[in-house]
Amino acid sequence: MAADLSSTANSILFDRSARTVWRIGFDRWIGRLLPLLFLVAIFPILSLVYYISEKAVPTLTWNVITSTSPYGDHLGVAIVGTFELYLFATSLAVLFGLFGGVAVAEFLPESAANWVRTSANLLVGTPSVILGYMGYITFCLYFGWGLTFEAGAVTMAFFMTPYIFRTADLAFTSVPAPIREAALGSGARPSQYILKVGAPIAFPQILTGIFLALAIGVGETAPIVLTTTASVLVPQNLHSPVTVLTALIWENYAQAPSTGLQTIAFQAAFLILVIVLVLNVVVRVISTIYRKRLEGLYQ
Amino acid sequence: MSSPVPDPVRDRQPIPAAAGPSSPVPSAPARAPFARVLSGIVPYLPAAVPAVMLIIIVVALVHASGFTNFGLQFFSLHFDPPVDQWGIAVFLIGSFLVAVPALFFSMLFGVGLAVASTAYLPKLVTQVLDPFVDLLAGIPSVVYGIWAFIIVAPYFGSTVEPTIHAYLGFLPGFSGPTQSGGTGIMLAVFILTLMALPITTLLIRDSLRAVPKDLWESGLALGATRWEVVRRVAIPYARRGIFSAAFLGFGRAFGETVAVAMVLGSATVLPSSVYAIGNTMAAEMFELLDSAYGNSQFLAALSEMAVVLLIISLVVNVVGRRFISRLYKEQVAGL
Amino acid sequence: MSGTGLDMGPVLSVRGVSVRARKVERPLLDQISIDFAPRSLTALVGPSGCGKSTFVRTLNRMVELTPGLRVGGQVLYLGQDIYARNVNPVLVRRRIGMVFQRPTVFPISIFENAAFGLRLVHESNEEIDRAVAQALQRSGLWEEVKDRLDEPALSLSGGQQQRLCIARALAVRPKVILLDEPTSALDPAATQRVESTMETLKEDFVLILVTHNVGQAARVADRVAFLHSGRLIEVGPTADILERPKEALTEQFITGRFT
Repeated sequence: MAADLSSTANSILFDRSARTVWRIGFDRWIGRLLPLLFLVAIFPILSLVYYISEKAVPTLTWNVITSTSPYGDHLGVAIVGTFELYLFATSLAVLFGLFGGVAVAEFLPESAANWVRTSANLLVGTPSVILGYMGYITFCLYFGWGLTFEAGAVTMAFFMTPYIFRTADLAFTSVPAPIREAALGSGARPSQYILKVGAPIAFPQILTGIFLALAIGVGETAPIVLTTTASVLVPQNLHSPVTVLTALIWENYAQAPSTGLQTIAFQAAFLILVIVLVLNVVVRVISTIYRKRLEGLYQ
Repeated sequence: MSSPVPDPVRDRQPIPAAAGPSSPVPSAPARAPFARVLSGIVPYLPAAVPAVMLIIIVVALVHASGFTNFGLQFFSLHFDPPVDQWGIAVFLIGSFLVAVPALFFSMLFGVGLAVASTAYLPKLVTQVLDPFVDLLAGIPSVVYGIWAFIIVAPYFGSTVEPTIHAYLGFLPGFSGPTQSGGTGIMLAVFILTLMALPITTLLIRDSLRAVPKDLWESGLALGATRWEVVRRVAIPYARRGIFSAAFLGFGRAFGETVAVAMVLGSATVLPSSVYAIGNTMAAEMFELLDSAYGNSQFLAALSEMAVVLLIISLVVNVVGRRFISRLYKEQVAGL
Repeated sequence: MSGTGLDMGPVLSVRGVSVRARKVERPLLDQISIDFAPRSLTALVGPSGCGKSTFVRTLNRMVELTPGLRVGGQVLYLGQDIYARNVNPVLVRRRIGMVFQRPTVFPISIFENAAFGLRLVHESNEEIDRAVAQALQRSGLWEEVKDRLDEPALSLSGGQQQRLCIARALAVRPKVILLDEPTSALDPAATQRVESTMETLKEDFVLILVTHNVGQAARVADRVAFLHSGRLIEVGPTADILERPKEALTEQFITGRFT
């Protein structure tokens, strides 16, 4: 191979053949242009937040948020409805998701557990409109509940359960094996292990799961709209009609530009954005603390 | 505690896999046989929650659809409830018409963003930029919808669509009239691209991060540029994750309901161009359930459409999740 | 230090190279100077953490991939500083190849692995075929894989994969090959085959071998360099270093009196 030394060095290290110039130049330009793609994400977010704030904030008074006036020009009814419906739905979802997740993580043999996990994943991947249909057919028609608070809340619990189920399962399966073995090896019953050892370790992760499920659920529209009737009053009991913020946006969106109904829709959208953002921040904060704790656990 | 020698291996599976769920838990103290069987079953019951929920969904939809009503006519292009015509083809095709281009764009941008994050940008920069993409997943679809309908649609109608018409009008599908005020296929594709983008980006980013550092370095050590390593080593190595991203991103775009209902225009005829209005199965089902009240034929038709949507979503999810190695993906809403 | 007797100058000449990590007082490498003559195999030995791996990574600018490291000094390849402003690391690495601790075959066929570097520069197919065959022969892998070049490289055993990595580095016709503990993940039989491959390769290339195993240095190297705490303590012909080390630190290391 090549013998003539320094000329070889120069011809290789300073190769200016078209092919080399192209290769190196292409890499350099790709490196400069690809980061610009982040604008595809950043620009819509900024635009969305800016325009929704612009339409919502100037008229968003404390009175608009708190008044439960029945004339559709205040948000109080929808806020109370959202709070009550999601409180109900989350409680149910936590009940089912938590027990289910712990049972899968702690009791089920691996082969059966994988089937259950797959079905939880499939539920998460199911379009929410399908959940709405299920709720309408099962609760509103078959159970005869009609388009009510209870039908909406149970349907929403159905929607949120798999998320909580998965985090509970994950939280308990990722308890460090030595700790688990030490607890069970020293004679603790499974129930004792779950309550005294597993739960304190898994708790923060389960909490993030609950908040995540709530963040996703509170932004959902289709399951609620399909299983409830809009109401101008705050829910009186489980059989009442109910309005939640997302449903309010859907009911009002197509109103002519200048009407107050559209402004109310934007104010509801603004509130939902804030709620979802706060919930996401809570999730991040808890999971940061959780990560630190778990790191401590492994040391 | 009565059990004499605890066996740590037993912990993960209190019951050997061969024994059915009806066997007792090993540590259960001796009781009457029935109580023993019961105490063996009870801890397992909650585990069935997701499976039972899935079964309820399937049974409810199939029961309501009856499935014998329409036969092949169900897949015709003719949908007209007053004259008992229940063809879903317009909506089935409409779903693909918006989901496939949205998938294409979100994969294109997703690969680009993931490559930028993993191969080009310093870690400090990606820690700031990546959350923006993840944030897209947290925005509720009805908020996307009202933003798109009120803010973006007029801009599409006045500027984007005429511009595209002027430059690409010679292509089939791009020549049609642009008088829908901005709503229609193109706006739906835009919104669905944004909604699928966090899923595709996250999955591709994760699978590129999983490429061993040694492999990146050996590519570079052979005198390859970063781009050449990405294209010839990292992407082939990460192909399963990219494949998953495509399926799950498609599932998201295909099943999206409210935002599409707000921007696609609710037409019951096939769209003639990218500017025309149309409808998807999910959005049509969502908008029409009201009208089906008290009309069992109508409800059956919509439920059957729901079954078709459910089957497609399940298939897409099963295929898409086959190659995801982690137990679950939680970082992005809806994954 | 001059090379093994040829009248050419050194292929690679390291002049006062230092590597510092940001915010760390003690440099990772401290003023290292050493020449590498053509057709030689130099073994770098030293306790773990002494900077051997960092040192070989400075020789093909791989060190720049680790964020926060600064390189000072010069590395002259045939008289040209590879850290000069107008030199692109991509071209440096085509002349100074590298083999890693673990086999790092790509998830493609055996042939495509060996052809990887050549494909980048659009060589003709006949040329690639010839270069791949030659590289596989030189790495001692040809007889084992010539009938299954299209099979996935991951179907090979660990030792075969490592020799494929050597062949892959050879195929782009470098002058220098850096071997960073190439046998640390291999069993004794595979190690022995890789060592005999190294012995034939030193007839034509400059080999720089990082090893934690003094025995391996004794078996294959012409010359041994001993690094400790980022400094080059001593360098000389293998026999001299192993039998008559001048420095106390070297002697302690050779005789196994510290880790």
